[in-house]
Amino acid sequence: MFTTGSKLLIGASVLAAISAIAYGVAQDGVMGTVGLASAALALAFLAGVNIYTRDSNIWDDEISSVETAPAAARPPANSIWPMAFALGAAVLTVGLVTYQAVFVVGVVVLLAAGAEWTAEAWAERASADAGYNAEVRSRIANPLEFPLAAAIGIGIIVYSFSRIMLWLSKTNTVIAFAVLGVIIITVAFLIAYRPGLKSKAAVGAIAVGVLALVAGGAAAGLDGEREIKEHETTEGLTEEGEEICLSPEEFEADEKASQSVAASANVAAEITLTESGSFELDVVGPLTEGSEAITLPRSNPNNVIFINESDEERRLSVDLTVPPTDAAEDEGPLLKCTTLVEPGGRQNITLTIGAPSFAAPDGYFFFVPGVESARLELIVP
Amino acid sequence: MSNPPLKRHPLRSASTFSNMSRRLRIGLVAGLGLLAAGCAQDAPQDTWDPAGPNAQMIHNLQWPVFAIAGVVGVIVLTFIAIIIVKFRDRGQAIPEQTHGKPALEIGLTILPALILIGVAIPTVGTLMALNETDDTECIVNVTGQQWWWEIDYAQQDGCGGVSEPIVTSGQMIIPINTPVLVRGTSRDVIHSWWIPRLNGKKDMVPGRVHTVRLEADEPGIYAGQCTEFCGLSHANMRMEVIALTAEDFETWKAQQLAPYEAPIGDDTLAATGEATFVAQCSRCHQVNGLEDADGQPVIARPDLQVYSGAAPNLSYFMTRNTFAGATFDLLNNECRDDVWDSDPATFGEKYLAGVSEDCLNSVDLREWLRNAPAKKPMYTDPAELAETDGLVRGMPNLALSEDQIDELVAYLLERK
Repeated sequence: MFTTGSKLLIGASVLAAISAIAYGVAQDGVMGTVGLASAALALAFLAGVNIYTRDSNIWDDEISSVETAPAAARPPANSIWPMAFALGAAVLTVGLVTYQAVFVVGVVVLLAAGAEWTAEAWAERASADAGYNAEVRSRIANPLEFPLAAAIGIGIIVYSFSRIMLWLSKTNTVIAFAVLGVIIITVAFLIAYRPGLKSKAAVGAIAVGVLALVAGGAAAGLDGEREIKEHETTEGLTEEGEEICLSPEEFEADEKASQSVAASANVAAEITLTESGSFELDVVGPLTEGSEAITLPRSNPNNVIFINESDEERRLSVDLTVPPTDAAEDEGPLLKCTTLVEPGGRQNITLTIGAPSFAAPDGYFFFVPGVESARLELIVP
Repeated sequence: MSNPPLKRHPLRSASTFSNMSRRLRIGLVAGLGLLAAGCAQDAPQDTWDPAGPNAQMIHNLQWPVFAIAGVVGVIVLTFIAIIIVKFRDRGQAIPEQTHGKPALEIGLTILPALILIGVAIPTVGTLMALNETDDTECIVNVTGQQWWWEIDYAQQDGCGGVSEPIVTSGQMIIPINTPVLVRGTSRDVIHSWWIPRLNGKKDMVPGRVHTVRLEADEPGIYAGQCTEFCGLSHANMRMEVIALTAEDFETWKAQQLAPYEAPIGDDTLAATGEATFVAQCSRCHQVNGLEDADGQPVIARPDLQVYSGAAPNLSYFMTRNTFAGATFDLLNNECRDDVWDSDPATFGEKYLAGVSEDCLNSVDLREWLRNAPAKKPMYTDPAELAETDGLVRGMPNLALSEDQIDELVAYLLERK
């Protein structure tokens, strides 16, 4: 009685009806229930039309035509894709009323299952030779299936790997993955140099390894990341920050501070603290020798490199405090500085200055805490 | 004996054009139009008309490269045309198929390689020469933002000495016959600085300082525009380089460093305009030396209002000829033509005269003050500023009254 096409429509109609009831009960929503119920009715109507027309306008009394129609030919094997398609539709529907991520998963499953089902159904009717049909299907689908499957597989492994890395402590991470690396190399060595090793054993070992990795990743992901301590820096200075920028002493932010700069090609200026305790200035262009002031543009990130050629660890500081005006409320004291730079070291400081230097009663100045003679006017027009 | 039938020839007459297919006619007209565009006289952004040594270097490179490419192109296209006509399918037998001709293949590999090497050597040499900065004698900072250029002169010994920073916009003033080092960057997105008659393009990238040299042989105005798509009003982001004699350049610097002069009197239009400026404009636009009613300096904080963090400094607004990213002229057409068409000997004097009341292009300026986003597309609609935390990109509509516009125009006319 039921034709192939009508089965899908009947199933979808039943699913929509169940969803309408579930939505109505769980969400207490009228519009969603009406929409889903309407979908159930529409799908039921289409199923009825399909049954009446026997999928392709073949009348009920032409039994022989029905029996010999391509759509009536028995497929060579049961297919998993209709079930996967229905699962995708269910997940999609659930996603509509729960989380966006679930909805996206439903769409992906629905599209993938639909594509596979279409390719399979088409290939099964390519000829009377089942072997040839299978080959045709592989030729069409494999170029898409293999890269996608590989990408998904690699993605899962990498994600699991990262979850485990973030779950373990920094020390244990090194140990765990050193051991894992040794295991992988050993297995690879055995596979390469023991041709007698059964392929099933090799595949089994790899499968177990991958499963362990994925299971470990899932467990680690559920347990959460290890506590990652944020190290203090001189950025976003608070009262403690002011203390740092005014002091030649070492603070936590100064520990393990970088003593070299990679991006030296895009600096607005280089400021060198000489052995004699004075500043030397070098800006892009040839005309700065002996300058006692540096001009930096307003409201723009300016990279300034501080080079310490003195005998002690020093930092470069700048006071950008401006009093409140009609246009700006009181922003409080604003000091910026590098971390301590070792003798011979260099560091970058990026300055974005909103107010002009003439807004500050004494202007802006670069200075080095502990070195009175190091003072350089900063002009911001 | 009968005569052989006469071969009929189509008539060659005035109807030839109308007999052409529609596509051919359109193509012909478009081609002629393009050809005619090359004859334009009023073309201030002509790369084939260099006005300084840097642009001349590019010109000296581009014309032989263009000639070589043209000759190669003609030879290749001629061969293709011959082959298409001579070997077209006329039902003849397929000729003998061969594979490989080492001498020809090697020759056709070596010949283009030699041509490319011949082009590469002067190209690399020119690029290296254009990148030299050691011989520059004047530094000018250029900062791009949507959709105008800020130009500032840092305190320096170069440029004949700059004792205090000078900030302007839209027009860069340089002394003639002086290698100028432009240090460029951007405050928001990537822009590109290009004055075709003085040098090539240079991208201005946020967080980076890029340099380009400029030098002009003669006094005059050299036009350019942003050449990296930068958003809604990219096409309206223009700039001009004004080249002056050394003497005129000194005069210009003195103009830009002159102390602020408040409008005379308390009840003049300009004096009222000063108060209107403080109330309406000074949050973003700096006028150096301007004080509020309490005698406190008025400090503009565009970083709190504008996405790029900057707005044009209007201290000496009427000393320049353009506004709104050099999109509009501050001079009316007659006075503008007088400056643009003046000979090099009198150009400086005319430019330095600035904008007088008689020469002011009050139509565009008033329209701009009335509703700036309607004059030049900008992102200023409060409903669409969530992405920038409420900061505008461009000048918003300040809903000024006509009286306020009159006052502001009177006040701005004195800013020189």
